[in-house]
Amino acid sequence: MAIKLSRSKKIRVLPGFKLTLGFTLFYLGLIVLIPLAAVFWKTSSLTWAEFWHTITMPQALASYRLTFGASLLAALVNAFFGLIVAWVLVRYEFFGKKIVDALVDLPFALPTAVAGITLAMLYSQNGWIGQLLEPLGIKVANTRLGVFVALTFIGLPFIVRTVQPVLEDLDPELEEAAASLGANRWQIFWRVILPMLMPALLTGFALAFARALGEYGSVIFIAGNIPMKTVITPLLIMGELDMFDYAKATALAVVMLVASFVMLLAINVLQWWTNRYNTHNLA
Amino acid sequence: MSVEVKNVTKKFGSFTALDNVSLKVESGELVALLGPSGSGKTTLLRTIAGLEFPDPGTAQILFYGEDVTQIPASERKAGFAFQHYALFRHLSVFENIAFGLRVRPKTTRPPEAEIRARVDKLLKLIQLEPMAGRFPSQLSGGQRQRVALARALAVEPKVLLLDEPFGALDAKVRKELRRWLRQLHDEIHITTLFVTHDQEEALEVSDRVAILRAGKIEQIGTPEEIYDNPASPFVYDFLGNVNLFSGRMKDGAVVIGETEFSLGEGTGETDTAAVAFVRPHDIRVTRQANGPALAALVLRSNAAGPVANLELKRLDSGEIFNVQLSKEQFQELAPKAGEPVFVELKNVRVFSDDYSI
Repeated sequence: MAIKLSRSKKIRVLPGFKLTLGFTLFYLGLIVLIPLAAVFWKTSSLTWAEFWHTITMPQALASYRLTFGASLLAALVNAFFGLIVAWVLVRYEFFGKKIVDALVDLPFALPTAVAGITLAMLYSQNGWIGQLLEPLGIKVANTRLGVFVALTFIGLPFIVRTVQPVLEDLDPELEEAAASLGANRWQIFWRVILPMLMPALLTGFALAFARALGEYGSVIFIAGNIPMKTVITPLLIMGELDMFDYAKATALAVVMLVASFVMLLAINVLQWWTNRYNTHNLA
Repeated sequence: MSVEVKNVTKKFGSFTALDNVSLKVESGELVALLGPSGSGKTTLLRTIAGLEFPDPGTAQILFYGEDVTQIPASERKAGFAFQHYALFRHLSVFENIAFGLRVRPKTTRPPEAEIRARVDKLLKLIQLEPMAGRFPSQLSGGQRQRVALARALAVEPKVLLLDEPFGALDAKVRKELRRWLRQLHDEIHITTLFVTHDQEEALEVSDRVAILRAGKIEQIGTPEEIYDNPASPFVYDFLGNVNLFSGRMKDGAVVIGETEFSLGEGTGETDTAAVAFVRPHDIRVTRQANGPALAALVLRSNAAGPVANLELKRLDSGEIFNVQLSKEQFQELAPKAGEPVFVELKNVRVFSDDYSI
């Protein structure tokens, strides 16, 4: 499409299509593609058999399950609660709203290690929250639940900040129109508001999910890092690096890279589909 | 009586949008709510729809005798069309129209086949059958408003409420669509109220026009009634161009300058200040005075368009006024700028004193 347009030499109000596209490709190449290519390059020093052995060893398989499972779950939970937070921030006026709004961004700004240490302290057996959960038989620190808690913490702002502006722009007349057609409040939410928010919600979900996949700092403090149980893939990679086994480390990284790319692509396709009505060609 | 509004008052903070308004609409009638912006016409429509609620008090809204004052919009069965259509842009044209049927509770929801049949019928009515699968963003403004109308009609509302339905459209589409609306109304005879600030639109389309000003209904009547017999200077001015001549009352006549114009009926009042209202097309321009006339000077003339417009200046007071002539009259008279003429006033209306535009 882009190439077609440049060939037809359309006259545009703002020139610079070729320049900006060239810059975009150069920049993406320098910042994103070259480092990623290096990962593949380093991995290629392994034979296929070694590569396969590395990425399918039991510790690795267990870590994939934990990393992808906990990330997905955390992003899903965030999608739900993040939507509620965004809803409250947009729809209601209350005392301290600005402060709550600012608090949402905190997980963005906090160094992940600080978040990790704080969470680990709170949820340890003697921590403020941990001691309340202990009698109920719920252990958070040093369990998979701890990994999930840390990933939920860092993912929340992504959902809130993507959904909020879309919700703000939603025309109240749409809800009034639905009401005058006989829809009750639930129907208005499910059939009118949610479909409108879906593209933004999916974007936020994808961002939160991607962030959780790569999260390291906040998880390792609370996870306890018990082999086969609470070791996330990034930690496994760090372990290999500590033993100077760069090829093995990059082999695991390749798996994460490819899996992440496939999942993000799938989410993008889904997002395009939910947004398909936003065409602007007139009849 | 299909819609009855009784003593409705609505305030937004210190602003009174509706001030003790009462209105009765007959079954099957098409009524226009006409007024300048801020006159409360949209608030009145939204109150009837249940999108706003009147201030507590003696206010009552009745649909076919049933009190719906406290019933929310979703249960009122009032079809509403918005100025900017408010179509669901994630749904196709077909699904937009079907929306009101699909959200019904299971017990009253028609079966799928019937929903399809009803939507197809409405698509035919709005002449958009080939567009059923399109999204609203792929339609033109006029098409979107027709879809919005069909969507409101699909639930078989007791009353149809249109808020400036043609306000966002360009002049040509607007004229087409309002003719189409009139035809549609003649076909399905649904009680309809529509809000507009365009007097031409109100006079052309509706059975009756209610003119609102500052939260009150100033006058209500058929288009002829209110055009020919405006109840107040405001209505007179709002319904079209008008010239003002200040003068004094004298039993059954008004004296403007030195000339006395008969009002046809005795008013009883004598020697009070008065303002005479005369429409530009009710002024006759001649070269010789026969009967009561004012002397004036031609300032400008413009014969472009279906009628000719003259700008005249009274010789005695210097007041400037406008006259509308037919093309024939204009050619016969052939006025030139700076020429002295005489004007006779017909259908003079007088409202006693201090009104100014």
